[in-house]
Amino acid sequence: MKALALSLVLALSVLAHSQALAAQASESPFMKPLPAGQAFPDLTFPSPISDKEAQDLGAGSGGKPVRLADVKAQAVIFVVYSMYCPFCQREAPELNKLHALIKSRGLSDNLKLVGMGAGNSPFEVNVFREKFSTPFTLLSDQDFNAYKALGQVGTPYFYVLKRQGNGFVIADGQLGCMTSAEAFLDGVVEKTGLPKGK
Amino acid sequence: MAAKLLSALALALLLPVFALAQGSIPQQLIWQPGALKPTDSTLKVAVGDKAPDFDLPGIDGKRVRLSDYLGKKNVVLSFVPAAWTPVCSGQWPGYNLARDVFDGRDAQLIGVSCDNLPSLNAWVVEMGGVWFPVASDFWPHGGLASKLGILRPDGVSERALFVIDKKGIIRYIDVHDINTRPDLGQLAKALDALK
Repeated sequence: MKALALSLVLALSVLAHSQALAAQASESPFMKPLPAGQAFPDLTFPSPISDKEAQDLGAGSGGKPVRLADVKAQAVIFVVYSMYCPFCQREAPELNKLHALIKSRGLSDNLKLVGMGAGNSPFEVNVFREKFSTPFTLLSDQDFNAYKALGQVGTPYFYVLKRQGNGFVIADGQLGCMTSAEAFLDGVVEKTGLPKGK
Repeated sequence: MAAKLLSALALALLLPVFALAQGSIPQQLIWQPGALKPTDSTLKVAVGDKAPDFDLPGIDGKRVRLSDYLGKKNVVLSFVPAAWTPVCSGQWPGYNLARDVFDGRDAQLIGVSCDNLPSLNAWVVEMGGVWFPVASDFWPHGGLASKLGILRPDGVSERALFVIDKKGIIRYIDVHDINTRPDLGQLAKALDALK
């Protein structure tokens, strides 16, 4: 009897876990993510970036809008998030860890991590930046223009991009939080064909 | 002993589920109203008017009264149209992250909707709770919303923000397009203007 109860508890728990894991994102009923292999839209973000961000991206200049295609890197992890998304709030420390890993593995010159606040004004992006001391570039997409071009995905959504000519092509996409920054970075390196780093 | 062990094990196994579930509402619980008329009411108050006093039941069992804050704190009233709807289910969790924006400007945020107390409570609990008081303007239905002129004909309020200073004077009104979320930056600017 006890064994039966125990297996029931275990089974229920596994089931509940898998459902919870599947939903680690604020879902969007209109989501149509762009598929791997497709060219990433040529986006320019109208809100001015800071000097530090221009330096981080190797593109644009402080106080001016930035064009994503100009980012100097072989690959980009482009995270669609929102200050208003509780999962993104929870994912923020893991993203900081991912950024630190990129640096410690010596990949910073080839791989950039960029976040885009879907529907977030520059003020709202800054609330997120300050709250989590985000060290990488966060772009504002106040009017949802880029968000719409990117398939109105749930958040967080990870687009993994690799350089193709003057722009980027989508190498992979993932809805929901990373299980671990290390494993995620391993996957990115593999899918973009970057040298493995340290 | 075995039973104790079993329940401890069950609890330990289920704990991460609760942790993960906190903070976001499953999509199947969110009602999709489609695109609505941006606003559908006529304001009855204006910037510079004295705010009507209110005394509404809060989901924590306490009363939420404007008079409790007069002379002490600026008040931000955040009306949302309805629990279990898309934009609202994102707006308040965002305010959760932005508590400093309010604290740093000597303002108390109060959330209000015309939902009844049990439904409003279930919704807020499902989103993982909020730090600010949440009041129900259900009965007399939309009483406060009606006094302010933001009750829509279908019985929900507009998505609206009111900033009331410590003297009880309305200093900022944003009756927003019901389909979109107001920018926190504009609200912060309105609060900065009170200083």
